Amino acid sequence: MARYGRLSALMRKELIQFLRSRAMLALILYLYTAEIIMCTFAMSFDVRNLPTAFVDRARSAESRALVQDFGSSGYFKITHAATTDAEVAALLDRGEVLAAVVIPPEFSRQLAQGAPASVQLLLDGSNANAASVAQGYAQRIVQNFALQRLVAGPPAVELRPRVWYNSELDYRHFMVLSMMTLSGMMVGMITAAAGVVREKESGTMEQLLVTPVSPGEMIAAKILPPLLFCLLALFPSMLVASVFGVPLRGSLALFMLFSAVFLLSSMGIGVLVAVIADTLQQALLISFLVLFPVLFLSGTIVPLESMPLGLQYLAEASPLRHYMDAVLGLFLKGVGLDVLWPRLAAMLAIGAALLALSAWRFRRRLV
Amino acid sequence: MSSLVGIIVWKELREIRRDPITMAVAVVLPLLMLYLFGSAVSLDVKDASLAVYDQDRSAASRALIERFPQSGYFKRTHDIRAEGEVAEQLDRGRARLVLIIPSGFAQKLARGETAEVQALADGSYSTTAMVILGYAEAIVQSYALERMRERLAAQGMTAPPAPVRVESRVWFNAPLESRNYIVPGLFGVILMAFPPLLTALAVVREKEAGSVQQIFVSPIQPYEFIAGKMIPYAAIAFFEMLMILAAGLWWFHIPFLGSFPLFLAATVIYVFCTVGLGLLISSITRSQLVAMMLSLLATLMPSFLFSGFLFPIYTMPTMIQMYTHLFPARHFIEISRGIVMKDVGLAVLWPQLLALLLYTVLVFVMTTRLFRKKVA
Repeated sequence: MARYGRLSALMRKELIQFLRSRAMLALILYLYTAEIIMCTFAMSFDVRNLPTAFVDRARSAESRALVQDFGSSGYFKITHAATTDAEVAALLDRGEVLAAVVIPPEFSRQLAQGAPASVQLLLDGSNANAASVAQGYAQRIVQNFALQRLVAGPPAVELRPRVWYNSELDYRHFMVLSMMTLSGMMVGMITAAAGVVREKESGTMEQLLVTPVSPGEMIAAKILPPLLFCLLALFPSMLVASVFGVPLRGSLALFMLFSAVFLLSSMGIGVLVAVIADTLQQALLISFLVLFPVLFLSGTIVPLESMPLGLQYLAEASPLRHYMDAVLGLFLKGVGLDVLWPRLAAMLAIGAALLALSAWRFRRRLV
Repeated sequence: MSSLVGIIVWKELREIRRDPITMAVAVVLPLLMLYLFGSAVSLDVKDASLAVYDQDRSAASRALIERFPQSGYFKRTHDIRAEGEVAEQLDRGRARLVLIIPSGFAQKLARGETAEVQALADGSYSTTAMVILGYAEAIVQSYALERMRERLAAQGMTAPPAPVRVESRVWFNAPLESRNYIVPGLFGVILMAFPPLLTALAVVREKEAGSVQQIFVSPIQPYEFIAGKMIPYAAIAFFEMLMILAAGLWWFHIPFLGSFPLFLAATVIYVFCTVGLGLLISSITRSQLVAMMLSLLATLMPSFLFSGFLFPIYTMPTMIQMYTHLFPARHFIEISRGIVMKDVGLAVLWPQLLALLLYTVLVFVMTTRLFRKKVA
């Protein structure tokens, strides 16, 4: 009985303290809504509307048709029509265009004679990823142009691609969910780290420890208010997601369960950081140091499958990686616990390991 | 006056020395970022898991399927035997792509009709899905082209060569190495990640402890206080920059093509800009936690998202494109990539340099204003 009274009194203190920091609450809400919207618009690896200069030296019906093909593909946006090489060089130097297509004067004559014709493509390789993707697109556009002229008649084999879970391959569907998980990671870790280390810094930690309150109870009281607030903040961000066309297909209860377990494990990282650090500044900086690889190795920003194998294995230790997969499953695929249970198990294991490590480290510091 | 600035610098340096963890993080984090971004950012997909549902079981279908693992892009992980398995493979994330070859494939090919092949991609990781579908399309296209040549040859025509070729030439980064553009971009991100945060925390710490009041009643002028707080962190920032530059040149072997003095000049402006932003944040916040979150939102995230570092600005909606101008990282990264990769000089880069300079001046004017108001 006394135990419950103690815990609830402690909880009330933490809740009051947490709710008093208006700026913090506002920032959490901002991260969960406005930041998600901004990032969803900004972060895209798609190569679209690549500013492109066209140099049409053939000036024929064929060359104009090819210009049309480039412009209507959606991948290239013809922004400049140049005539000289110097002009093209200046445009590329200033970064006003990132690609230039040059059609030589003999293009139409060669086409008419059935001789191999060629088109020149100049690419700004300074963004290597975009450049190699654009190269592929240009090749396909020209190949299609060639095929249409080459063979009258149906193609031998046709690929019918169909995309599941995100039929238009809209990058924003992925990004909005990705940002939602990132917000949880940042908020969970930083609030927990700050909450614990603040007691240490102000010296009240010692006072708490001589009371009958156990370290576990103290940490539980620290963690619960931000955890509940973060779970509440998920609702507005679910609204944002559905505005972007990504409603929750799976079960809401399951989503909340996954989010709670994930937030607990991200707070576990925060608590561990706080146990190691002595001051708030140190705690914040170490959080930064840890946050970065955790974000990087989660597949939320950079695709994991393209990383070196060693890093892919390391990524399994990132709770964010498992949460991200579960969120994609719940929102896009609409699958349930029968498919997602390994993710839940992994997050629970990571969270438990973190808490055990913190408790061990904490006890060692006391004796 | 200058001696007072010196005293504050001295005091700050002693505080920094007392806190080895902060310095360790300041050194380790940039190197970690450099390592991860320099070696692991790529959109190429190798060995994507492929499940095959071959309903035709003919020599032709097997020949097409064989081409997938041969391409190096796919790894054949599963053979589907029944319709129900298709959904399971995708739902459980076991396969990124399911290739379905319907029965009658070989027959249609032989009759000269169009034979269809289905590809189902897992779109939940949409970037990967797009890349994978591109590969699949290219594989099927080249297979189709070969079959068509055979048909033409069978009709007695010698297959004509593909009549249009793309001769592509890549400027500025011929080997298309992503690290060559990641590293010069990273200069802009790393300088925004740390120096503003450290500077903001250094001032807000004194606010939280109340010691800032004591400083304001002393003969120290607000601008002297600001300068004293700024100089050590600007020095740290500059040191970080040189460290990344050295690591980029000798560890990652990125070529540095342009003018080194111009690069250093731009860096100095940018360093003051980042530290100034930290001071600006510190002048409007009172708690370290809020200062940290604000630095995250106002400096690190925009320099990462809205600078063209990873995500090209031209793909963003127009409103966001305008918004990116609000952040100095965008201008600095353009300068940095321009000098390092393109070997362009002031003639091309002056608008970005001017923007950076104006931005820095504005930040300092605002900061001193805000500080003075607080004191008065």
